[in-house]
Amino acid sequence: MTFSLHGVRRRLEGRAGPVDALADVSLEVAPGERLVVLGPSGAGKTTLFGVLNTTLLATEGTVRFEERDVSRLTRRGLRAVRRRIGTVFQQPRLVPSLTARQNALLGRVGHWSFAEAMRAWVRPSPEDAARVDAALEAVGLHHRAGARGDELSGGEQQRVAIARVLVQEPTAVLADEPFSSLDPTLRDSMGELLLGVAARGRTLVAVMHDVDFALRHFPRVVGLGAGRVLFDAPAEKVTPAMLAELYPRASAERPGTPGKERADVLACAR
Amino acid sequence: MSSPAPAEARGLRVRSAVQLLLLGAFLAWSVSAAEISPGSLVDARALDGLGRMVRGMFPPDLSPGFLAVVAGAVARTLAIGIAGTVLAILLAVPLGILATPTLFRPGALGGRDGAFAAVLFAAHLAARGTLRVFRAVPDLLWALLFVVAVGLGPRAGALALGVSYAGVLGRVYADLLEEVDPSAAEVLAASGGRRETLVLFALIPQALPGLVSYSLYSLECAIRSASVLGFVGAGGIGQELQLSMRLFEYRQVSTLLLALLGLMLAGEAVSRLLRRAMQTARERGSAGAGPRGRRLLAAVAVVSVGLSFQGAELLGGADDGLLRRMGRFAAQLFPPDLSPAFLASLRTPVLQTLAVAGAGTLLGVGLAAVLGPFASGRLMLPVPGEPGRPGAAGPLRRLLHAAVRSALAVLRGIPEMLWVLLCIVAVGFGPFAGALALGLHTAGVLGKLWAEALDEVPPGPLEVLEAAGATRAVRTLWAAWPQARTLVASYGLLRWEFNLRASALVGFLGGGGLGLQLYNAVQLAFYERVATMVLLIFALVVVSDALSDGLRRSWLAPTALRREVRRAVGPRVVLEARRLLARAP
Repeated sequence: MTFSLHGVRRRLEGRAGPVDALADVSLEVAPGERLVVLGPSGAGKTTLFGVLNTTLLATEGTVRFEERDVSRLTRRGLRAVRRRIGTVFQQPRLVPSLTARQNALLGRVGHWSFAEAMRAWVRPSPEDAARVDAALEAVGLHHRAGARGDELSGGEQQRVAIARVLVQEPTAVLADEPFSSLDPTLRDSMGELLLGVAARGRTLVAVMHDVDFALRHFPRVVGLGAGRVLFDAPAEKVTPAMLAELYPRASAERPGTPGKERADVLACAR
Repeated sequence: MSSPAPAEARGLRVRSAVQLLLLGAFLAWSVSAAEISPGSLVDARALDGLGRMVRGMFPPDLSPGFLAVVAGAVARTLAIGIAGTVLAILLAVPLGILATPTLFRPGALGGRDGAFAAVLFAAHLAARGTLRVFRAVPDLLWALLFVVAVGLGPRAGALALGVSYAGVLGRVYADLLEEVDPSAAEVLAASGGRRETLVLFALIPQALPGLVSYSLYSLECAIRSASVLGFVGAGGIGQELQLSMRLFEYRQVSTLLLALLGLMLAGEAVSRLLRRAMQTARERGSAGAGPRGRRLLAAVAVVSVGLSFQGAELLGGADDGLLRRMGRFAAQLFPPDLSPAFLASLRTPVLQTLAVAGAGTLLGVGLAAVLGPFASGRLMLPVPGEPGRPGAAGPLRRLLHAAVRSALAVLRGIPEMLWVLLCIVAVGFGPFAGALALGLHTAGVLGKLWAEALDEVPPGPLEVLEAAGATRAVRTLWAAWPQARTLVASYGLLRWEFNLRASALVGFLGGGGLGLQLYNAVQLAFYERVATMVLLIFALVVVSDALSDGLRRSWLAPTALRREVRRAVGPRVVLEARRLLARAP
């Protein structure tokens, strides 16, 4: 199994005291599987995401990546796991003063010692440079390679973020609402890029708001509500009733929650 | 999305490559010209001398008699600092208003036409020039000159600080008045208001918080400076230190060092508290204290200013002989000695001064680059409210963080002039001691400022790198430094400007460069030569400031800089940067 979670609970310090962002989550993801996690805001999606990419520890329960118990890893072991997991964040999170090429190169950081990181400042190794060129080519940004991060448009930045993951050459890719910062016209092309990243036998776990896109492109759908798995089913078995249970009316009307979740659900149910 | 056109981008790249090359060449030359010889640091004789000094420093002399001396010296230092700041404010208010371009440019708001306007414009230019001279001549040099003019003691120190800080404050006042939103003044001008009205009712009220905050900050800096003016005989704790060093009374030296360090850190803490109090008061929209509190505050201020003037021997002693003596000294400075032989003899000291500044800055930058990240909470400590993050800070890392922070505090708490004295013990007289001293102090200041800049870096990219398995050091190198680089570069340049001023003076104490010649000329009463060297230092400072301003502008286009700095770190650090600039009188 790429990921296997058993009875995972994760407590966070909320403004009103501690809350269980994840109450009880068990989940197995096989190598090469494509899985999407759906759920309203506050369901614990981002926390789950942090637990999966090992930057958050589970308060209770076990998290395994490729059969290794994450909580028992040394710092070195943790780094070895992390460089095998590629992450596309909600925001592209580029280093603004570095070029697109340098930002893509940052996919290699997990492999570098400090000396190698220094050397990469001056001149990346030929292998790394070749990886970067190929990745920028793949996301269609080769012509913008020398532009600084803050000179790129939002869509270009997110493509560099995807190139960064390609350069990392991970076995599993996590994507946390990768399109939420993009305007809708860019979504489809970006979605294709993301799926392309996962195409080469990589595991892909995505957290997403866009129900329609999720059902079309991901064979397996997990519904997350209030820190629990509400359903875990193949995409074709997901019914409007399941989605309606996942997105109760109240959540769509909560202040700060974008109303589009609800709209997406309704569009899908129709 | 505004990427420069390819040709323009190439031009920029070439230009910055050339600049970097020149900078590198200059730094390499400084290291060789400053006679840097790390070997002399671990040389047996040097180690022996250093060991003797360190052993001699324990235990500190805590006898009641000496403690009384120390207390007196600390009080005098405070008096010099406060009196100097008050003098500086008195000088800076008229000069600063006169130096405000929006008020006195031809066609300024509320101005009149005709010959009177031309006269005022000339006065405006003169005020700007005067402030520039006040500012560009380092405070220790002013102190040396005032010691000659009015004699040894705190009076010379207070006057020197008054003049030198007036240069800084006047400029800052003028900047602040210029930055005020002009719409209020325009309304007043449109209804026929005169210039005086505009200043009093439109400009000053709006600029007031800034004016007060800078004045307070310069008080902190002035107390800092006051502690070293004594090295040239201008009173305060520096004079006692110099004396104890000369007498090899190292136990007294260590007591004085501790007192000095305490004074510096207490000053920093008090001014931080005051600033925070003022900020919360401003945020609450009230003046902070009630009418009674304000009356108390005013009384405390008046009493302490009075005591300071008394302590700095500025009261009662203002006999008319004082002004006459100052006038006579000023007359003796003319005409400066411009004979070719003398000018030629200054070539080596001038080059040495540049080399000491370059090598000192390089050393400081290197040390700060290594130590700074360890002093940054963002890089060293866990994110608060997020327990259970793997690889979180262990007790060892916390300890390291605390140790580096205190080391930096000591490095910057001891003024560079004092470092010169200590370094001379270690490596002997000469430019290496000067460069080492500047480097150590610079490391303390830059290390702290850079750590703060790293603290304010947006965390997103750091988290990305962490998730990709980067070590802490690699994250720092690739995500923290690049995001902080605007501030890092401008702080570095500011330190260079500061170090050049200091390197002209380290020679007073045996650190090489122009200072030694200057000191000797003063001792031997060759005042025409003193005048030449003062002019030379002034010219060096003006040229170097212009150069580093040019660098700043081309590395960080000014509008981009302002935007980037604001976005990256918010107004607090902008203020801090301005303060740093102000601190390099």
